Amino acid sequence: MATDTRTISLTVNGQPVVAEVEPRRLLVDFLREDLGLVGAHIGCEHGVCGTCTVLLNGASTHSCITLAVQADGADISTVEGLADGGELHPLQDEFSAKQGLQCGYCTPGMLMRAREILTRNPDPSPAEVREAIASNLCRCTGYQFITEAVLAAAARMRATREVVP
Amino acid sequence: MTTADQATPGAPPVRDHSAKRRWVGQSIRRVEDPKFLLGRGGYIADRITPGTLHAAVLRSPHPHARVVGIETAEAKAAPGVHAVITGAEAAELCDPMPDFGPDPARHTWRCLAAEKVRYVGEGVAVVVADSRYLAEDALELIEVEYEPLPAVTDPERALADGSPLVHEALESNCAYERSFDFGDVERDFAEADVVVRDRLRWHRSGGQPLETVGAIAEYDPGTGSFTIDTNTLSFTSYLFMAAATLKVPVNKLDIRPVPAGGSFGSKLFANKPAMIAGMCARKTGRKVAYLEDRVDNISNCDHHGSDRVYDVELAMMRDGTMRGIKIDVIDDYGAYIQFGVGHHGNALAQVVGPYTIGSVRYRVRAALTNKNQQGAYRGFGSEVNNWMLEQMVDKAARELGLDPVAVRRMNFIREFPHFIPTGNVYDSGDYERVLDHALDLADYGHWRDEQRRLREQEGRYIGIGVITAQERSVFSATEFWFWFDEPGAPVTSTPESVSLKVDATGGITAVLYSCAFWGNSPETMVAQLVAEEFDCSPYDVSVVYHGSRDGLPATGPGGSRTTVMLAGAVEGAAGRIKEKARRAAAHLLEIGPDDLEWADGGFRVRGDPERKKSLGEIAIMLHLFKHSFPEDMESGLDASKVFDHPYTTMPSADRKDLGVFYPFVGHACHVPVVEVDIETGAVTFLHYAAVHDCGTLVNPRSLAGHIVGGTAQGIGTALYEEFVYDEDGQLLSSSFMDYLIPTAMEVPELTLGHVETPSPYTPHGIKGGGEGGRMMAPAAINAAVNDALAPLGVRLTELPMTPERILAALRAAGHAG
Amino acid sequence: MKPPPFAYAAPATLDEAVGLLTEHAEAEPRVLAGGQSLIPLMNFRLAKPGYLVDLRNVAGLSGIRREGDVLVIGAMTTLSQLERSPEVAVAAPLLAEAVGQVAHAPVRNRGTIGGSLAHADPAADLPAVALAAGAELVAAGPAGSRRIPAAEFFRGPFSTALAPEEILTEIRLPLSSGGHAYVKFSRIHANFAVVGVAALTELDDDRIRRASLAVAGVAPTAIRATAAEQVLTGTLAADVAATAAEAARAGVAGLAPAGDLHASPETRLALARTYLRRGIELAVSRARNER
Repeated sequence: MATDTRTISLTVNGQPVVAEVEPRRLLVDFLREDLGLVGAHIGCEHGVCGTCTVLLNGASTHSCITLAVQADGADISTVEGLADGGELHPLQDEFSAKQGLQCGYCTPGMLMRAREILTRNPDPSPAEVREAIASNLCRCTGYQFITEAVLAAAARMRATREVVP
Repeated sequence: MTTADQATPGAPPVRDHSAKRRWVGQSIRRVEDPKFLLGRGGYIADRITPGTLHAAVLRSPHPHARVVGIETAEAKAAPGVHAVITGAEAAELCDPMPDFGPDPARHTWRCLAAEKVRYVGEGVAVVVADSRYLAEDALELIEVEYEPLPAVTDPERALADGSPLVHEALESNCAYERSFDFGDVERDFAEADVVVRDRLRWHRSGGQPLETVGAIAEYDPGTGSFTIDTNTLSFTSYLFMAAATLKVPVNKLDIRPVPAGGSFGSKLFANKPAMIAGMCARKTGRKVAYLEDRVDNISNCDHHGSDRVYDVELAMMRDGTMRGIKIDVIDDYGAYIQFGVGHHGNALAQVVGPYTIGSVRYRVRAALTNKNQQGAYRGFGSEVNNWMLEQMVDKAARELGLDPVAVRRMNFIREFPHFIPTGNVYDSGDYERVLDHALDLADYGHWRDEQRRLREQEGRYIGIGVITAQERSVFSATEFWFWFDEPGAPVTSTPESVSLKVDATGGITAVLYSCAFWGNSPETMVAQLVAEEFDCSPYDVSVVYHGSRDGLPATGPGGSRTTVMLAGAVEGAAGRIKEKARRAAAHLLEIGPDDLEWADGGFRVRGDPERKKSLGEIAIMLHLFKHSFPEDMESGLDASKVFDHPYTTMPSADRKDLGVFYPFVGHACHVPVVEVDIETGAVTFLHYAAVHDCGTLVNPRSLAGHIVGGTAQGIGTALYEEFVYDEDGQLLSSSFMDYLIPTAMEVPELTLGHVETPSPYTPHGIKGGGEGGRMMAPAAINAAVNDALAPLGVRLTELPMTPERILAALRAAGHAG
Repeated sequence: MKPPPFAYAAPATLDEAVGLLTEHAEAEPRVLAGGQSLIPLMNFRLAKPGYLVDLRNVAGLSGIRREGDVLVIGAMTTLSQLERSPEVAVAAPLLAEAVGQVAHAPVRNRGTIGGSLAHADPAADLPAVALAAGAELVAAGPAGSRRIPAAEFFRGPFSTALAPEEILTEIRLPLSSGGHAYVKFSRIHANFAVVGVAALTELDDDRIRRASLAVAGVAPTAIRATAAEQVLTGTLAADVAATAAEAARAGVAGLAPAGDLHASPETRLALARTYLRRGIELAVSRARNER
């Protein structure tokens, strides 16, 4: 069985990347092992838990059921690109302030999903946040403090106009 | 059933908790958070270095079969493959797995099955290759010849004559059976007005954290030593058993904890991946990682939860007084029984709940079947007892025509410490206060009105559950062996250790010896406790985890023990540091040690506060200026404390009194309001109030997070989650497609309250509370569903209450869908 | 759970893609659209295509346009694009309502309408929508392009009328007027349907002139509930409370669904009755509101 490699060119957290990958290589493994970006996690490898969530062209994506070759030409954002140097992004800061994390395993995926949610809906109601984050499982928090964190971050992001209603 | 009216034998001294606290009780941000927020958590899969090989396990598709032969030649020749080890070869390379079961010689558990597989998913071979991709490719090239055997998956059938035997050597599928009597059961039942009976069924669910178990192992033939990084630990003091599995001396095995993405019990002493990785590392001479994938974990994690059939009788007086209870429970342990019936010890710790029930008969039978074995799941078997008991109380109230809240209230234990019939003690509590607060937060009266109105006006079925139950914490070792009159190893140690080191600048490092981070914030707990002792900022405390080999004795998380035990260890180590620092300060200030008092981060002369030495000033002197101190004072400023379980008493020889083995007992009341759609069997939440009392809280927000998370898991157990094995032993729920974990839409917002009745026996009055949410929610939700369906004559007695089970019950009661 | 090895191509044209399917037929090739159904199966190693033809670079396969009374949707249009499309909201509200209930946003961001229909999972939502809406599925193959009515498209679980060398290129949806509803029962929010019902009803004054009902979860494929449609046709919308129940009963009569760990056959029938009734009631009430 031919397992040749393909060259892919993409942008990851604003940086251009060119790499050779086997067609079957999952995007999550490419990010974690080839690029050392271990923030995206592996939880199920069948697209249910969301711990692998990254943004692909701004859209939240399960990187465990995406092939790296499908990301050719794409713009990928991972949690490693959220903080600005030493300063936490409001989402990260509010997750800490509200204790929206316990084991932290779902957190990078939640943060990236929250980023997309707030970009599309900058002033969500608590119910809207809950429905939107239903795509990402959390086994520790029961979602309550995550919801609070997202709402608090949204207010800050509106204030700085990072998201505009 | 007795309240101590004199100094309680075996109890630690009663403490005074009147001191003002500065850090304990504050909901500070967790010190652990930044690395996780940045995506640099350091989980096991993040630690793969270049050149590490990867293992993949071939798992049995049969629930019960002889392994006739395995062909591995083609797999061994596959690209990138370094080794293929069969179960038979593994049995040469490794001894059996560490096992606390009743008779491990006759139900032997190995890291890979050798002659026989006993459940779908049991490993029969392992491949080691350059990548997980290549390892899985090679798995497909292994040919196994199986001789299928009849399988048994129903625990009652497993116990019946003629059942297929899971372990022939045991000659039975009953791994343990015993009946215990506590108090005067016969008298209480003879004098009762009414005996309420029921049969209840709780199906197995499990922790299923989002991160599976993994290990990276290295064997150094130069030193004969194993180094294994893994996201499991606990029972550190028992890791010598893992050394035996790998056939190395204990002091040649170092198991190092790494942060874990959740556990909920399922990473407690979960050593199989570490043993497999270790075996492969020694065989290949290379570093080997074995990271379970999700299917590996669901089918093969060795941590399925309780799986019980109850036949219960509750003896009642007509006025609602509870007299005695007879519990006959069969627990389906699966194919092995690594923790024995310890889950029933957890039940016995609080078997009568918060009630003054005077006698208990507890008959337990452990059935072996062709399923993955049980392990630990948040509650460790006590949550099932809570559910069973609360079901019985509600049934009794209904049969006697009494209000279920009033029945609970009238039977509450009110004086503490209180010894229950099994011998365990409830150290403190105020159950009435918790109940009143919960009913208030729940707006109980309003929802009773709504319930009536919505049924009459709209034909909707609303239900309110009110349950009051216990959450024990901090187990003793006696729970491992009081099952046997002549135990082989009547161990009595379950310590936790902390070392504190004050460096020359006065900075403090705390070393933990088994409290691997699982989401349970040990670093924050320790930082707050150390800050409380030394008046520093918790963010200035550095917390490190130590490997097992040259570490102090430790037990690790489990049974909600971590915070209490760490508090005791920190208190002890801090006391020793302060004792030395006091002597040193006295020497430096040229005054008697008793003339000094600790205040504001240092020692100062009583009555002359300007004459003082800060911890930093004392430390630098001790580190660098030996000759400034008396001869007997060593350089440096560090101390350790091995904190043993502070309150354990021995069981009586006849086992009519099990002693004290789980003394710090919290309590909670959950009041969910649900709507049951009787056309679909769907259950939705309209409101959910929960009040917990686990003594003094170190970080209230953190505990609240555990309550919500635990409740979410309880919702899963009550409505969605089940490891479903069909009659042929096939595991139908083998992925997250079918093992259904609640999302944010299935978990309501909780209205939380808390009450704090401190423990008289622990530092700061802390009790453990991390398991509490899950220990309450299944009971509460079942109560609410039954309350909703009562007008239709329907009562659910089986969890999870899936739409299928609810609709089937409605059909059986004559209500077609 | 890593996928097995496969040969891979991402051709630039439809002809090339069809050509690759033909040329590599013995490798059991599969078409890769969004991969949200296929890649999980490959990670489980339940699907082992020897060749994957990725349509990502083929121009002209996505997009939404009106052709008279028909909404034409490119097969590679993602479910998120459909969810956000004002044209779909107006011209195919049944599709809009269903798409919003398919899994979660991350899956919809990559999953395509063509991929979902071609995959033909019996528990999927969109096949029922295609049936109820009377969609035509356009397939391109070595012999050219052909239109397959939805009623002929779904053959069995994960099995369609597409030949191995054919690729779905377009979905043609007749514009509907009147009322619509897509309702489903799933155990967890947005999970696959235990049962799903797609309903379209057209009213003439207050009389139900036409009803088109499709059900997922009670047969090896989604099916039209023609018996239910016959009960409804000609009845008054004002009487829907009674007629919907009767239609629902007729709709499930004679069905023998398979059971699984989520629902027994009896429960599936009960749920199908309930959701047929609810779907009809909702569609009719929306039809009345529009008048």
